Amino acid sequence: MELKQVNFSYNANHPLINHFSAKVPQGKILSIIGPNGAGKTTLLQLLTGQLIPDSGQILVDNQPLADLDAKERATKIAIVSQQHHVLDEMTVSDVVKMGRRPFHSLLATISDEEVAPFLEQVQLTKMATRNIASLSGGQQQRVWIAMALAQEPEYLFLDEPTTYLDVRYQTELMALIQKLQADKKMTVILILHDINQAMKISDEIWLLKNGQLIASGRPEQLLNESLLSAAFGMTVHVVTVPGYGQYVVQV
Amino acid sequence: MKKETIAYLVVVIGLVITSMVALMSGVDFLTPLDLWRAINGNNADAVNTILNFRAPRWIASLICGGMLAAAGALSQSVFSNSLADPTILGVTSGGDLLILLGGLFLPTFPMRNLILAFIGGGLALWLLINKQTLRTPYKLIIVGVALNLTFVGLKQLFTQGISTGIVTGFNGITWPKVLTLLVIGCIGLFVALLLAPWANYLKLPDQQLASVGVPATLIRLSLLTLVVVLSAGVTTAVSTIPFIGIIVPSIGRKLVGHDYQTLIPFSILGGAWLLLIVDTVGRLVVLPSEISAATIMTIIGGPFLVFLVQRRGFNGTKAS
Repeated sequence: MELKQVNFSYNANHPLINHFSAKVPQGKILSIIGPNGAGKTTLLQLLTGQLIPDSGQILVDNQPLADLDAKERATKIAIVSQQHHVLDEMTVSDVVKMGRRPFHSLLATISDEEVAPFLEQVQLTKMATRNIASLSGGQQQRVWIAMALAQEPEYLFLDEPTTYLDVRYQTELMALIQKLQADKKMTVILILHDINQAMKISDEIWLLKNGQLIASGRPEQLLNESLLSAAFGMTVHVVTVPGYGQYVVQV
Repeated sequence: MKKETIAYLVVVIGLVITSMVALMSGVDFLTPLDLWRAINGNNADAVNTILNFRAPRWIASLICGGMLAAAGALSQSVFSNSLADPTILGVTSGGDLLILLGGLFLPTFPMRNLILAFIGGGLALWLLINKQTLRTPYKLIIVGVALNLTFVGLKQLFTQGISTGIVTGFNGITWPKVLTLLVIGCIGLFVALLLAPWANYLKLPDQQLASVGVPATLIRLSLLTLVVVLSAGVTTAVSTIPFIGIIVPSIGRKLVGHDYQTLIPFSILGGAWLLLIVDTVGRLVVLPSEISAATIMTIIGGPFLVFLVQRRGFNGTKAS
């Protein structure tokens, strides 16, 4: 997946994504970090086809993203967004079945067996017939991940997946994402608020500010006090925590 | 036995018993034995009463009840709003108004009333569907109620002091009318059962549907067309009968759950039963006169709606 000179704005005087060119590392974990308003979510919406660039091009497997029809796109790109929710009662298994829709006609019935492996992968087999609203936040997040996995995507996007979760679930979720990525060799693209989480999980990091890519590279290359301080507009220190490694703190 | 199975059984048994009562009762009461003889062709008087008066009315109320309840359930899925019923949103009164205007100003042509009812219903939805209205569940209902009252008011304006000659309700319904109703009803309900899975898809927001390649707009438009066809079919035959499309699916969700693939068939049976009860009661309580099904449904439906909205835990944003 590649971005070539992509521009996007709702208002010409205030570009949200500004001449953005970059290449998503194939089969790796990429995290997009940056201050609020840097354009992280806009970038994700562009990469997933929810928004269309004003100019420039996004290529998926050397094919313009805009040329893919909705079903094709759904089998290449899956999204776990922050705002996922249901409007009415749905069972866990019915939600995951929606992830299989791109492989079937609109009226086809999807069997329980077909989604069983995806429920298994996120350890929700026992919850299959439960109403999704009755699950905890962390479990619900895993249902949405199972739905995304059911699309068997090449690219899995997660928009701040840990935001509403407590520390334990955050850790579990991160471990799950790493495991799934390793098993399926997918490309995982995460938007993360927590720099340290990003540093720990990622193969590559993109640092965004004002709609531009101001730095990218392996986590250790971005563990730079002056770079991070400038990006976030505050003093940031990188300290060494025994038994963990380098850790970013704000003072 | 599962709660769902029991609910279905109760409705089916209820339908059979109510049907027998409906066919037996009226100005002349027939015994079950008379009914049996009539079915075997051995009781000419009873055959006459049943064939010419009671059977068409019985079939009409069953099919209309089923159509109204199915239309209600489908429209609730499209709007993700458990109050979104075609009779509340002005879909049926829009049809009523156009049928009236057509009767006053247009020459007759085949299926005129049905076509006008369809256009009237479509017009109401077109006025209703607007970003502002759809954003908040209550706005949809308020705008729908306003539209409905406008259509009803206009209808009153045009009927001021004149007799339109349009027969409404089930009283005196004729076989040709019933047959048209049967054709539209059977096709409409068959399609409703076929498209029930689509109503389930709409439980996910549009953005999520787009991400799994499901065309939400196409689904909405198809289901809304179906809602208007079902509503127009009923409006053409018997004018507006309110609230069945809210009451039956609401009770259905409690009894058989929120899966539209079970809820829609249940609503069809439940709606048929409810309207048959209401029509039969209306026919019998003030013999030889009668109270129309629409009047009784308004009286029952109003309080039910108040109860539904004031109940704890109701928020209207979800089909509760």
